[in-house]
Amino acid sequence: MSSIALVGNPNTGKTSLFNTLTSSYEYVGNWAGVTVEKKVGSLKNGAGKLIDLPGIYSLHPLSRDEGVAAQYLIEESPEALINIVDASQLERNLLLTLQLLEYGKPIVLGLNMIDVANARGIQVNPEVLQAQLGITVLPLIARTGKGSSQVLSVLEKPANIPPVSFHLNYGELVEATIASISNQLQQISGLPNLRWVSLQLMEQNPVVLELLKKRMDTSELMLLCDACQTQLQKQKLALTLPQWIRSIRMDYIRSVCAAAIDATKQKPHNLTERLDSILTHRFLGLPLFIVFMYAMFKTTFDWVGGPLSDLLDGFIGGPLSDGANSLLQAIGASGFTHALIVDGIIGGVGGVLVFVPQIFILFLMISFLEDSGYMARVCLLMDSTMERMGLNGKAFIPFIIGFGCNVPAIMAARSIEQPKDRMLTTLLMPLMSCSARLPVYLLFAAVFFPARQATAVLAMYVMGVVFALILCKLFSKHLFKNESSIFIIELPPYRMPQFKTLGRSTWEKGKGFLRKAGTIILAGSVIIWLMSYAGPAGFNVEMDNSFLAKFGGLIAPLLQPLGFGTWQAGSTLVPGFLAKEVVVSTMNIIYHAPDSAGLEGQIASVFTPLSSISFMAFILLYIPCLATVGVIKKETASWKWTFFSMGYSLVLAYAVSLVIFQGGRLLGWS
Amino acid sequence: MASASCSLLRLQPGTTGSIYRIEGMNPILRRRLADLGVSEGVMIRLKGKGPFMGPITLECNGQLFAIRRKEASMIEVKVS
Repeated sequence: MSSIALVGNPNTGKTSLFNTLTSSYEYVGNWAGVTVEKKVGSLKNGAGKLIDLPGIYSLHPLSRDEGVAAQYLIEESPEALINIVDASQLERNLLLTLQLLEYGKPIVLGLNMIDVANARGIQVNPEVLQAQLGITVLPLIARTGKGSSQVLSVLEKPANIPPVSFHLNYGELVEATIASISNQLQQISGLPNLRWVSLQLMEQNPVVLELLKKRMDTSELMLLCDACQTQLQKQKLALTLPQWIRSIRMDYIRSVCAAAIDATKQKPHNLTERLDSILTHRFLGLPLFIVFMYAMFKTTFDWVGGPLSDLLDGFIGGPLSDGANSLLQAIGASGFTHALIVDGIIGGVGGVLVFVPQIFILFLMISFLEDSGYMARVCLLMDSTMERMGLNGKAFIPFIIGFGCNVPAIMAARSIEQPKDRMLTTLLMPLMSCSARLPVYLLFAAVFFPARQATAVLAMYVMGVVFALILCKLFSKHLFKNESSIFIIELPPYRMPQFKTLGRSTWEKGKGFLRKAGTIILAGSVIIWLMSYAGPAGFNVEMDNSFLAKFGGLIAPLLQPLGFGTWQAGSTLVPGFLAKEVVVSTMNIIYHAPDSAGLEGQIASVFTPLSSISFMAFILLYIPCLATVGVIKKETASWKWTFFSMGYSLVLAYAVSLVIFQGGRLLGWS
Repeated sequence: MASASCSLLRLQPGTTGSIYRIEGMNPILRRRLADLGVSEGVMIRLKGKGPFMGPITLECNGQLFAIRRKEASMIEVKVS
């Protein structure tokens, strides 16, 4: 099986092409840094494996996601490369292309976004480009899939892609150094193209340097580079060697572009400019963002999501439960089976499934933000606030993704350049209220704040963000060396998300939720139900004498000061660590509620409005779920920071709930 | 005749200058800007300034991006 790698600048459509060329689906969006990991898929025509790499500007990585791509090219050996370039940004994109040509592997150039370029009046001539670079150039529109069949047919036999014979002359002086470095490198086996390795070394590519250091003594090579640089300075050609190499490449690229591009009819980004003049307006920008967020929550909870959930609830509580009841009676199921299915599974899993409409609508909105190009603008708007808190605006992209699920959000933090900013974003992520916590707020908001549901739920999200900002200030001041943060963000052109893409990416996000319903929530529900059904005295005991009550009773005294010191509340918290949705399943089982209406009645008798706020705040903050803990460990590569993230959230949750409940009581609320 | 250089921040929004010199900038940011094609001699346009002394939007080679004012002030441009 051959492997072919997709390489290119960030946000040029590599993953869109990957999704059309393989039968798999990976995450796409309109900002730089969507793909942060190497993804492998099988080509549709069975010709081999396709590898999707994070976007890079050069082979010299700055952030962690770029490191993944650079490392792959250096340490592994793909049979061929597909270099995707953005036709509307050709000059910048070709800088990477030249380095890939020097890499020496067979390569095909995918000239993507020709529609975008044409709309801007930029005409790129693929034939001229092909003649100039000496490689196959295929025009593409990856978003719609246009041109992908040609790519597929070229890849049918990767061995037939002709090898590259690209040779850019860097001038006598540098060429001599390249020759002597290559000469020394000959003793090492398993290196990619030696000329390429030499050039990368001269450009001070850290990944190449590390690789060589492991195999040989590099001091002599460094001397050669230094000598070459001194010569360049003496002849007043350039200040540094990397600068010289870069300028030679740029000159070459300009000559290629001059031949291949007709930009005489070039127009400015009209739509993007007009939208930006409003959306990033210095006074209107932020208020507009807040209005959008509010509208998003209103749609999710009041306008569309709520009514749909009610319909589903009516179905699960009514026809489904009744149907299951009569069916079980008809086949003469035992009391145990009957209770397990109706109270445990339908009650527990069904109680969570009710919220599927709201969660899917939230995911749809997040997908829209991701695909439209607005995400990058939000970072721009939030940067000055974030800077004051010791972080940078770019962290806002992971934070918004975190409203869906914390796990991909923590992965998304990889595209942040500075290690300190990346670490802070990762540590604070659990404070972003993910969709799994949503059912808890929806349940309580429906009981205690029926008239202001969207506001109540929005308040929880805002609370999470506010605490994240406060802690960010605290952590960056006391836990990290005072490294000033930097901020730079590319602003991609706006585009109208396609219906198909939106549907797909919403489904991919929502699928995880449904899968959890069938696995961890189902298993959790069965275990919780068993614990509530069995007790020290045997099966089918009064719930107050069950194992679950005993277990919850151990925790309850600790929760007394927070206003929900009942075994019922206590016993939801531990399974909630596995998956936050299980909190609601557990409540459904404990209160034997056939539908939300029944559960809401039960909750109203146990909680007060004040203790419900305290409980919601506790659920918001108390601990990252098991999956999030796993990814924090993976990304920080440190148990210390992983435990820290669990510890601080527990302390914070307890303190906040205590202040809410006791403070509220002092003020005379109940 | 070459006119005097000034900080990028002095440009009127919507106007263009050619980069004369970039000095004292954080090396990571400098590299990233170079990746986007921002270097000496290149034309750069100031598009707009963000809220609360926030980042400014720039355009270079048809690519839009934003950096903070403090760093933008390290880019010197010539207006012809």
